[in-house]
Amino acid sequence: MTTNQDHNQQTHFGFKTVHEAEKAKKVGEVFHSVASKYDLMNDVMSAGLHRSWKRFAVEVSGVKTGDKVLDIAGGSGDLSKLFAKKVGVGSPQNAGQVVLTDINASMLGVGRDRMLDAGLNVPALQCDAEKLPFPDQYFDCVIVAFGLRNMTHKEVALAEMQRVLKVGGRLLVLEFSKVWQPLSKIYDAYSFKLLPLMGKIFAKDAQSYQYLAESIRMHPDQETLKQMMTDVGFFKVDYYNLAAGVVALHKGYKT
Amino acid sequence: MLKQLSTRLLQHLIAQNSWANALLQPYAGQSVRIHIGLISPTLIILEDGSLALAGDTNTPDATVTIPPTLLLRLIAKDETAKSQINITGDTHLATELAKVFAHMRWDYEDDLSKLVGDIPAYQIADFGRKAVGSIKETSTNLAEMLSEYWQEEMPVIAKKRHVEHFNSEVDTLRADVARLEKKLLKFEKKLTQPLSSPTDTHNP
Repeated sequence: MTTNQDHNQQTHFGFKTVHEAEKAKKVGEVFHSVASKYDLMNDVMSAGLHRSWKRFAVEVSGVKTGDKVLDIAGGSGDLSKLFAKKVGVGSPQNAGQVVLTDINASMLGVGRDRMLDAGLNVPALQCDAEKLPFPDQYFDCVIVAFGLRNMTHKEVALAEMQRVLKVGGRLLVLEFSKVWQPLSKIYDAYSFKLLPLMGKIFAKDAQSYQYLAESIRMHPDQETLKQMMTDVGFFKVDYYNLAAGVVALHKGYKT
Repeated sequence: MLKQLSTRLLQHLIAQNSWANALLQPYAGQSVRIHIGLISPTLIILEDGSLALAGDTNTPDATVTIPPTLLLRLIAKDETAKSQINITGDTHLATELAKVFAHMRWDYEDDLSKLVGDIPAYQIADFGRKAVGSIKETSTNLAEMLSEYWQEEMPVIAKKRHVEHFNSEVDTLRADVARLEKKLLKFEKKLTQPLSSPTDTHNP
């Protein structure tokens, strides 16, 4: 019985199988290690495309002045910054609100400092996406960019995101996904050979970027994630394949 | 990349035509697929009343089909062409979107002014407007000249007056044929009716 329970509590950490409790700790270590060079590495890895993907996510979110936005796993805060402009954080009339959250203190610290430097009143909150410390039906939009794949219980996290959304509010999930089949070999070579090498050169941390490549492969593909979102109660779930499916942006509404 | 650029362009146009937000906002979350020749983009109305390209698995609420020939007539502002656009699904939604596109204007002078400054932008735009006007005028003159040549000098195009005369003659002929048909039917009926016997008339 104990053995079965142990088996049930196993999860993926890249290609390795680890105990659920261990995953959060290991993910924490990875992001603690890459926090200071996170955006630089993103720029190097995606040739700057991650900025365009994030901007696109903000554009299709449909948020307007006065809306409340929750940025989950927001890390370095680049999305929060874009949303803050769109909802009018700090504007004298009909001011919106953006809350930046991350489970990792190192990443959140980088984001909080950047918000302060930009003169934006965006609260930064360290919290677990599976236990969000917000009331029901509070936000107009929830976004999680490149964070869902690191969560241990994705369904629980998605259900939490649904809980804190207002009726008619939308969830946006920007995440690495399954690349278009003819490009998969080139993409594999890039992810498993070049990516750790770049990690070693730029962030002095090849292992963390090896995990990044592995975790992308273990993450649900476009259709599976769409189904997961539908299963927790989102409706009209749709996705955009970006860069031939390297990244997908899922959008779903709360009924 | 195309999705990002198209969405940015659509949102820029909507931002320049802010009156459209209020019109589109009640339809937030709904989408319309537009078939124009080989391309068929699906546009989704966002919660702020702006537009974006819909996702890859979107099921449109309405479909608008514009054949390429009809598109040319629409560009030429042929009012009768509008009634020939094929709309399926939520016609109200498609009509509202069409209304927005019909009245939307691209303020290119404003965009240009951000790059080169107000005065050069005005001058470039003015030059552009004059060039377009001049091309339009030259094209009209050329078309009129050719039509006159083909009607008068080398008659390969029928004149309007002749076409109308021909049509009127066809109408008269059609009416005559119809009358003749009726007369023939009347005769046929008379021939098929049994002849009344003369003895019957003498019965008391």
